[in-house]
Amino acid sequence: MALTHTLLSVSGVSHGFAGAAVLEGIDLALNRGEVLVVLGPSGCGKSTLLRLLAGLMRPDTGEVLLNGAAPRPGQGSALVFQNYRLLPWKTLRDNIAFALPGLPAPERAARVDEVLALVGLSRFATLWPSELSGGMKQRAALARALAPRPDVLLMDEPFAALDAQARELMQDELLRLVRRAGGPGVVFVTHSVDEALVLGNRILVLTPRPGRIAARLPVPLWQGDPRAHPDYADLRAKLWQVLRSAVLNDPNSDFHRGQETGRP
Amino acid sequence: MLARAQVLPDNRPMGERSTIAPGSGESRGSVSGGGWPGRGKRSEALLVAALRLGFLALVLLVWTLAARAAPPGLFASPLAVARAGQGMLAEGRLLPAVAASLTVYLTGTGLAAVLGGVLGLAMGTWRLLGRTLDIYVLAVAATPRVAFIPLIIVALGLGMQAKLLVVFLGAVMPVILNAYAGVRAADQELVEMAQATGAGRARILAHVVLPGAVPYLIAGIRIGAAIGLINTIVAELYTAIGGLGGLLAIYGSRFRMAEYLAVVVVLALIGATVTEGLRLVEKRLLRWRDSDGRNLPGERR
Repeated sequence: MALTHTLLSVSGVSHGFAGAAVLEGIDLALNRGEVLVVLGPSGCGKSTLLRLLAGLMRPDTGEVLLNGAAPRPGQGSALVFQNYRLLPWKTLRDNIAFALPGLPAPERAARVDEVLALVGLSRFATLWPSELSGGMKQRAALARALAPRPDVLLMDEPFAALDAQARELMQDELLRLVRRAGGPGVVFVTHSVDEALVLGNRILVLTPRPGRIAARLPVPLWQGDPRAHPDYADLRAKLWQVLRSAVLNDPNSDFHRGQETGRP
Repeated sequence: MLARAQVLPDNRPMGERSTIAPGSGESRGSVSGGGWPGRGKRSEALLVAALRLGFLALVLLVWTLAARAAPPGLFASPLAVARAGQGMLAEGRLLPAVAASLTVYLTGTGLAAVLGGVLGLAMGTWRLLGRTLDIYVLAVAATPRVAFIPLIIVALGLGMQAKLLVVFLGAVMPVILNAYAGVRAADQELVEMAQATGAGRARILAHVVLPGAVPYLIAGIRIGAAIGLINTIVAELYTAIGGLGGLLAIYGSRFRMAEYLAVVVVLALIGATVTEGLRLVEKRLLRWRDSDGRNLPGERR
């Protein structure tokens, strides 16, 4: 582990909109081939964090470094969104090619073929997004993100809109893609505790309004099905406890402390 | 009921299709097919064609009966109209008028589509330009354009230029307004996606904003084409009498109703042909939409 170099580092980052703090005192680091899960309730500034990491915004205070420099959109990072965001007027193939503007045409076509095969969509290259299922659209969006060989994949609740089966398949697929040699580092935002445990090497729990780091948890490397592992239930309970107290400490939350005793 | 027997063979391809694009065929069938979820697209198209022919027959029948009941000289039967049309063709009066009207109509509307489209897209793209001009465009669009005709005649006379301007002014407003609205309605989430890939302003405009405005632009051109045809006739009535509008004026004032109605039928055919042509262009340009048109932004009128 000593030889891994830090791809992405965030130190002392705070950010707000219209005077309201959204993120406060965020520190994190990400290495190549690693999946960092950011887990938090709605309103914890997860999406803002990803936009800061992607270089779409600059933080009010603190520093974000990607490969040692301030991040710039499309330079070493790629975003994957919950709602796919494929261009409806481009075929699958052209949607992916859109993320490769600088490449000469033959190389671009070859790279598109390569990532289409990687996510198993080669047969569907000429279809319009409106002809694809939700799982296929998300695989296409993943292919578009992978096409320029980013160092960091920034994923904003990417599987939240999928049905339970498609979600599990996509989780496996993502792990397969990331664990290949030269795979990117991943920052994966979710509010599913199970998704965090299945995918993450490390988990960062954020509080809501403003988003502060409530806890950092390492996750063991699971052998086989994580859910069947004896430690899984313990870790899940612990994580759930942290998440719950983060929500209950939020004065603006819909949930109140009194409800805590109501549960066994 | 007749077509129901033909429905069954078409069931299978439809079921297959709905696995690719969920609901694309079935929801359409249940809307227009009145609760026969298995109705195939082809048999429905046949049924609709048959029903349309039947309706046309009904219209002609009512028309014939009305012509028989009306006092002579005030109305003409479909048969008399068809004979009058033949006569006008034989005398060489119809085709030159059609050509004159089509020239005015297609040139004026075509200029409106191109120039209005460019101006509307530019207004949407450069915010300051749009905010400067939009109240004036709205003001002109809200003024009955017929009010400009005397002014246009004074400025341009009674010739071709005046006619073109009347058509252009009528057709251009919905094109400008729709193109403008289309750019401003650009999907901000898609814009953000493009920014995240490192795309600059020009690339976002070309690949995200302008393609998204195309459905609006086409809707504007369709409305503009309808107004353009009206204004063609208005221009021909108000300026130098000519074209199909001129024929309407001549036959109308002499109570030659068969000839008059033949001109009306020709106008209806021109309008229907242009509308259908634009619909085909739209279908081709927007072939990325699913069959329910769910990706179609609302038309603005």
